Amino acid sequence: MPSPPLTDRRLVFVLGKGGVGKTAVAAALALGLADRGHRTLLIEVAAETRTAAVFGTAPPQDAPVEVRPGLFALSVDAERATQEYLSIQLKVRPLVEMMSRSRAFHQVTQAAPGLAELVTLGKIWDLATAVRDGRPVWDRLVVDAPATGHGLALLQAAASVRDLAGSGPISDQADAIERVVRHPAATGVVVVAIPEELAITEAAEAVAIMHQRDLPVACAVANAVRTSPFGPGDADALRAVLADPAAGPAERAAAGAALATVDGAAHDAREVRALGDGCALPVAVLPVVPDLAPGSGGIERLSAVLMADPALGGADAS
Amino acid sequence: MPPDVDMMAMLRGRRVVVVAGAGGVGKTTVSAALGLGLAAAGARVAVVTIDPARRLATALGIPELGDEPHRVEPAVVEAAGMRMTGTLDALQLDPRATFDRLIAREAPDDAARDRILRNRIYRHLSGATGAQEFMAVERLHELVDSGAWDVVVLDTPPARNALDFLDAPERMTRFVEGRGLRLLLGPRAGAGRTGWRALQAGGHMVMSVVERLTGAQLLTDISEFLQSFDGMYQGFSDRAAAVHDLLASDSTRFVVVTGPRPEPASEAVALWRRLADERYPLGAVVVNRVHPEPGTTGAPDGLAGLLRRAGAPDPEGLASRAATALEAARARAAADAHEVGALSHALSGPPLAVVPALAEDPVEVAGLAQVTRALSGGARDPGRGAGVAPPPDQARRQTT
Repeated sequence: MPSPPLTDRRLVFVLGKGGVGKTAVAAALALGLADRGHRTLLIEVAAETRTAAVFGTAPPQDAPVEVRPGLFALSVDAERATQEYLSIQLKVRPLVEMMSRSRAFHQVTQAAPGLAELVTLGKIWDLATAVRDGRPVWDRLVVDAPATGHGLALLQAAASVRDLAGSGPISDQADAIERVVRHPAATGVVVVAIPEELAITEAAEAVAIMHQRDLPVACAVANAVRTSPFGPGDADALRAVLADPAAGPAERAAAGAALATVDGAAHDAREVRALGDGCALPVAVLPVVPDLAPGSGGIERLSAVLMADPALGGADAS
Repeated sequence: MPPDVDMMAMLRGRRVVVVAGAGGVGKTTVSAALGLGLAAAGARVAVVTIDPARRLATALGIPELGDEPHRVEPAVVEAAGMRMTGTLDALQLDPRATFDRLIAREAPDDAARDRILRNRIYRHLSGATGAQEFMAVERLHELVDSGAWDVVVLDTPPARNALDFLDAPERMTRFVEGRGLRLLLGPRAGAGRTGWRALQAGGHMVMSVVERLTGAQLLTDISEFLQSFDGMYQGFSDRAAAVHDLLASDSTRFVVVTGPRPEPASEAVALWRRLADERYPLGAVVVNRVHPEPGTTGAPDGLAGLLRRAGAPDPEGLASRAATALEAARARAAADAHEVGALSHALSGPPLAVVPALAEDPVEVAGLAQVTRALSGGARDPGRGAGVAPPPDQARRQTT
């Protein structure tokens, strides 16, 4: 059965190597979903992302803030999520306070590898399944995940814990979380890369790992892809100028800059193809948008291009 | 722009070079290029990278990287126009293999070793992302200890906090020591011996809550895990102290890599200040992928005429688009120069090495050699640098 389009899935994780523009892609997608009338929550994982630089408002940790009509942002912090989890589970206030104050408990939660990922994923799941008046609180959730290794750890946190804890409420909850995270109708993972070999290699390896673990990879995004306004005949004429002894320094510099634009666009086009081949996924292509600051119109432009890309539509990862 | 610094001269004679910085700034490329330059200058160099597997392997012409060092063929380096008087080895961190070796070394006997290696908690722990930072410094320590290399270059893991790896040994030691856990687990994990008996009443209560949440099996596994580590904390904590001493000693230099953009630059400033505050030995800041000035300020007024002579069908239109491309290149160079200046100002003082942007990221030794040359203070004077001659295609590969 073909998986639904990415835009129809409730929970989307945006994953990729550090520095490829995950935050921009997550923000562009969330903005596009909100523009289509979905009540959308953009989630950044604390201390990792830069949503504030795009929407002008730093997402709070306690309650989502509306950054655009229908688009809300929230920052999820592991320590805070742990306390919230405890207070929901234990229900008895003094007990929660005792746990929170316990030095031993803090040592354990800070040192235990994988715990931060689990409570973070648990909080995301909590938001994704929240219901008010018989309706889901959020139509769409977009998670700006940490860089590849940590992002993959986040996606697999529930599976790891279920394997470790044999029985009990945590194991049951891990099971429930994992069912949602793995469900291709409910969840989709978007892998972001820039047109550079190292970023593409990392994206392809992440996709291979996710296939292996049955995680619902939906599509790839090639970000900051350079284009050229020059045609093939233009390049020949420009090269002739470089070889012309009559050309002055400014003319040479202009011809050189134009040829570099041609080369850059050709390079990026090759790398975009490599990304599609390496991941065996449809690839959405985004242009270079140097300024994403609020009011620059950058994020709106990026969002329009992304939402119009067919790769987000009928992508079938299975 | 600040004057270029010769990093090969700065790093000569050091035993450890730690390369840190935000994700996506080209840490791996800079690590490999530094390794290449130090090896060219005569040192026996090992470069340790993290993942993904093919990153450094591709760039160094090695089929694949494994946990064991792999020699880079001198012929590959010489084909790129560099003289190689030392040796260059590269390896990729395998956190689990490194952790297993550490356990084998620290365990009091074979039975204890096997008990730990089989433990479910251990298997999980050694594969967790937190273990990667710890194992990166552990592997560094192993390689330095072996004495087989003059200098080890460590490409640090992509961490949420770029300096997580500095605290990693201590954090991990605390976890296996498990003071808190032992206290909570009570007699099951032999907490009686810690002498914290008085606090145990509260601990029991906390633990019964935890048990309600996780089930009893997990706690039993954790108890077994902690018991099998009995007698090993001292080894772990000695090891953590030794790693810290090595990283803080004059044999080490920290290199912070950034790009000419505000976000990685502000992370680089924060990193540098933290390293300075904690008295780690500072090397230099590398600003990677800086777009060079096109080299002229004039307007290309004669371009349309030249293009007409070259037979272009629409010389006016093409000339105007080329002029726009030149303006864009100038704007990019100006923005990058501004960023480098701002960084230099914010850091007030440390040596700054500027690596020009290449048309594509180096994926072979020829490209790496260009980065090496820039790091040798040769960005604007290709004649200088540690045995590095400019490859013939240098001009073609630079963006303008």
